[in-house]
Amino acid sequence: MLKAIRPKNKVIVMYLFIPVLIYVFTVFIPLIAAFYFSFFKWKGGPKKTFIGLENYANLLTDKVFWSSFGHNIYLVVACIIGQIGFAFVFVLMINSRLVKFKGIHRTFGFFPSTISAVAIGFIWKIIYDYSYGLLNYFIDKAGATEWFMNVMNNGQPLVWKDMTSHIMLIVSIPLIWQFIGYYMVIILSAISSVDQEIFEVAELDGANAFQRAVYIIFPLIKNTLLVCVTLCIAGNMKAFDHIYNLTKGGPGTSSMVMALYGYKTSFRDHNMGYGSAISIGIFCCSLFVIVLSQQGAKLISKDKGGAE
Amino acid sequence: MAFNPSDIAGKKVKENLPAEKAKKGILTVILNFILIVFSVTCMFPLIWMLYSSLKLSKEFQADIIALPKAPTFENYIYVANDPNSHIWTSLFASFRTTIISIIFIVLFSFIVGYILSRIDFKLNKIIYGMFLLGMLIPIHSLLVPIVVVFQKCGMYNKWFTLLLPYISFGLPIGIFLIESYLKGIPVELEEAAAIDGSSFTNTLFSIILPVCKPILATVGIIQTFACWNEFSFALVLINDVKYQTVPLALTNFSGQFSTNYPRMMTAMLITMAPIIILYFLFSKQIIKGMVAGAVKG
Repeated sequence: MLKAIRPKNKVIVMYLFIPVLIYVFTVFIPLIAAFYFSFFKWKGGPKKTFIGLENYANLLTDKVFWSSFGHNIYLVVACIIGQIGFAFVFVLMINSRLVKFKGIHRTFGFFPSTISAVAIGFIWKIIYDYSYGLLNYFIDKAGATEWFMNVMNNGQPLVWKDMTSHIMLIVSIPLIWQFIGYYMVIILSAISSVDQEIFEVAELDGANAFQRAVYIIFPLIKNTLLVCVTLCIAGNMKAFDHIYNLTKGGPGTSSMVMALYGYKTSFRDHNMGYGSAISIGIFCCSLFVIVLSQQGAKLISKDKGGAE
Repeated sequence: MAFNPSDIAGKKVKENLPAEKAKKGILTVILNFILIVFSVTCMFPLIWMLYSSLKLSKEFQADIIALPKAPTFENYIYVANDPNSHIWTSLFASFRTTIISIIFIVLFSFIVGYILSRIDFKLNKIIYGMFLLGMLIPIHSLLVPIVVVFQKCGMYNKWFTLLLPYISFGLPIGIFLIESYLKGIPVELEEAAAIDGSSFTNTLFSIILPVCKPILATVGIIQTFACWNEFSFALVLINDVKYQTVPLALTNFSGQFSTNYPRMMTAMLITMAPIIILYFLFSKQIIKGMVAGAVKG
């Protein structure tokens, strides 16, 4: 802190005023507005009717909202397992002395995470396309069409975007794919900051690859893994772009997520009052999950005194 | 990697045994193979789109995976000249929005980060907490109300509309990156400057700013990708094609070219080009910056 040469208050206010104003205007004012509008029946026009807590009562029993919340949680779990799990395994492989082209794997693997979700959505829409998609092309070339039809779709043709019962799996694969490289690079950078001698010594002492992974690498980078899990949770609670571009929540509402439901209610059905209540619902649910996970993370990293 | 005697010793012991050597050979093949497959799957969609964009729809439908027999730029010419694709206006809007947002995010996070980390004043803790809260707040709960507020204030669907949310959402992480970076810089630097008669503003911009360059670059890199790729707020706040950013324009192409995949891929490639070129030119710095941002944020 600057004590002796602290500038005048006027100067501080001058510097802080604009950024704080912009920030409050775009983050806090809308939140307060949403809270206010959530007490009204409002179709977006000039007429607003005060209905008290009715929107919230509806929200609590709204099956679509809670199944959307469930889908968000599904994405969180799928991505923690898929993204961080694969990333960890790939990191163990890349970290081996036997592997060549480490830099290229890093650059190529990271690449999808820099592409916009819209583009990813379209790329996968084309991949999943029934007639001209890559997926069906490769399945067909492998001669496995029949097997996939039986396993995935009760013997029906492989129209991936219409498979209601597997749709969450189908929409989470692009998401997982996009960010494996991202987490891989984060974990790699954590490992490279650990003294490499530890691994050599462990190898000399006769620890096999599995033992090294579980008893040495894992504890050393536990805190980084927790950061990854937190990022994963925060990222998937706000899932919107991918789903919007892949399925728009369909078929029906079988791949609906919270943000998309709020969007549809407000701007497609013009139900702004209820849409505002959903926004507050999203706020509370996401905040709850995020805070819960951070408390959990704190507990884990404190508990065993993990090294950084 | 540094010279390491135990490393060499370990290798020697193992390589003396032929069985170990064979096992190592197999393992080398397997590990490299898996990782190469992974890298290829990450790049293949892009490569597939690149060469498919040189095919016409008919040729694509006949064989989706084959290389083009007679490469043609017809799709590019069509997309570039089609007045309904709005590809150039959207590229322009994206460049404008991204560049202006980045300048303000970097500038504001630098100023706020500096003041919060160095100066003690009444509201310091409150403002700090406010930005901290901003990292926790699920911003997608703002999707609906922000439209209402912007409409009421006459700021809906203007060329500058997207600047405000982009700057605001970029600030918290920028501020925290800069604040934690400044912890490693001694206060004596500013005190010496003050003794030499430098004003607060002068110290801030001509002494602290150059010192902070690396972290400011990191903030800039992270936010460039975030702003260029942002979709959901652009979707709700903009409905005029004039102000559409690239991700929004892409959703329009999908309606327009829905039956013509090569054309669709062409449009996607053109709009992705700036970010792809940027990435492959500076991939090292970009990866480093993004990782730093993710871990410290």
